[in-house]
Amino acid sequence: MFSKKEEKETYTVEQCMSCNSMTKRKFKVGDFLFKETSECQSCKGKIIIEKIFAETINA
Amino acid sequence: MDFANFDIDQIFGLGDDTNPLLWLIWIIPIVIFMFYGQRIQLQITSGDIKKNIEKLKQLKEESRKELIDYIKKELKPKADPTQKIDLFISYFTIMPVDMDPNGIIPKVRHIMRSREEYTRSQVKAIFSDIDALDVTKVQNLLEVATALQLLYKIVNHLFLTAKKQNNYPLILPLQMILPFIMEEADALKGAIPALKHGQPLGDGIGPMVVGKMMIGTEKQKIAFETVWSQIEHEKRKLYLLKAEGPLATVGRPGDAVEHIVSQHKPDVIIMIDAAVKLEGEDSATVTQGFGAAIGGIGTDRFQIEEIATKNNIPIFAIVIKQSVKEAITTMTKEIADKAEETRSQLYEMITEHTKPGQSILVVGVGNTLGVSQ
Repeated sequence: MFSKKEEKETYTVEQCMSCNSMTKRKFKVGDFLFKETSECQSCKGKIIIEKIFAETINA
Repeated sequence: MDFANFDIDQIFGLGDDTNPLLWLIWIIPIVIFMFYGQRIQLQITSGDIKKNIEKLKQLKEESRKELIDYIKKELKPKADPTQKIDLFISYFTIMPVDMDPNGIIPKVRHIMRSREEYTRSQVKAIFSDIDALDVTKVQNLLEVATALQLLYKIVNHLFLTAKKQNNYPLILPLQMILPFIMEEADALKGAIPALKHGQPLGDGIGPMVVGKMMIGTEKQKIAFETVWSQIEHEKRKLYLLKAEGPLATVGRPGDAVEHIVSQHKPDVIIMIDAAVKLEGEDSATVTQGFGAAIGGIGTDRFQIEEIATKNNIPIFAIVIKQSVKEAITTMTKEIADKAEETRSQLYEMITEHTKPGQSILVVGVGNTLGVSQ
């Protein structure tokens, strides 16, 4: 009766294939798993999308 | 009036001279419930069912509207697609006669593939230029809208029949099954945003596990919307197979396994798939077992079991448990976090059940939307 409405937000996690550093950001249309997105700022390794998932946020 | 003189026995008819009015007050409801009890129950139950039918109708209409809006805004059709979409949504499939079940699988496969191919060609015909990903997205959205329309039609039919016949027992099975139907309808509606945006579904955990293992390898097409590649792991050859991502497709794993087995004769087949959890089980639990882990109508499972049996190849399974809603909506964090653990379990399984020099076919089963390789 008093439960809050649950809302979901989708996130994309990017990971460097060389130094394994990870960053999490909001999902953008066009993202898909294992897509090469950019070059790592610190080690110049390939950054790929490692995970895309939905998380519940309480509205 | 003399209030000091009233007699309780007389008022309640407890004395020798029974009050006929009170007698009627007792007997009339009994007579009414004897003759009209079921109708009264039918009216009470109807209220709740009607609310759910209204909700189903709303879900069906919303899914249709969202599909049409998505096509108009995102995919730029040649002409207004509304009429064609309405036609596709009302398509039905007549399953083959099963009085003599011998040889029914190829017939079911033929009917399902004909339907799939026809829908694909019709979807392509709506647009002058559309890529493979968008075609599969529209096909999946059409399936959602069709399923919701079918659920609404069936529930409404059962309800109206019971009402027409004034038959209470007829409404009981509907009342019992309705919560499950509503759960499925909610799950289908929840799948729409993920399909539109191309986000991986919970069902995509199998392709996600295998897809990462395929990064940097040479991928080849082996069956319709299905790819495979080879890697080495601890002196064993691994044949990796999954549907072609990031399309919204499950591919044709049956055909692909048949092809790989006949060409390369793997020693073991390991299938990774999402499985519906039982009530009380935790989501995203990874478990191992035996047999072909693959859902759907059953034709691919039959094909894989048949070829494995003929060639005496053991089939092992790793499944990631989840609810129906989790399987067809955007992958949850809990499920995505289990990809690495599933991969470790797969490597352990390979080293435990095979020797160096042997080959293993690893199949990532499920809808590979948003999961490349």
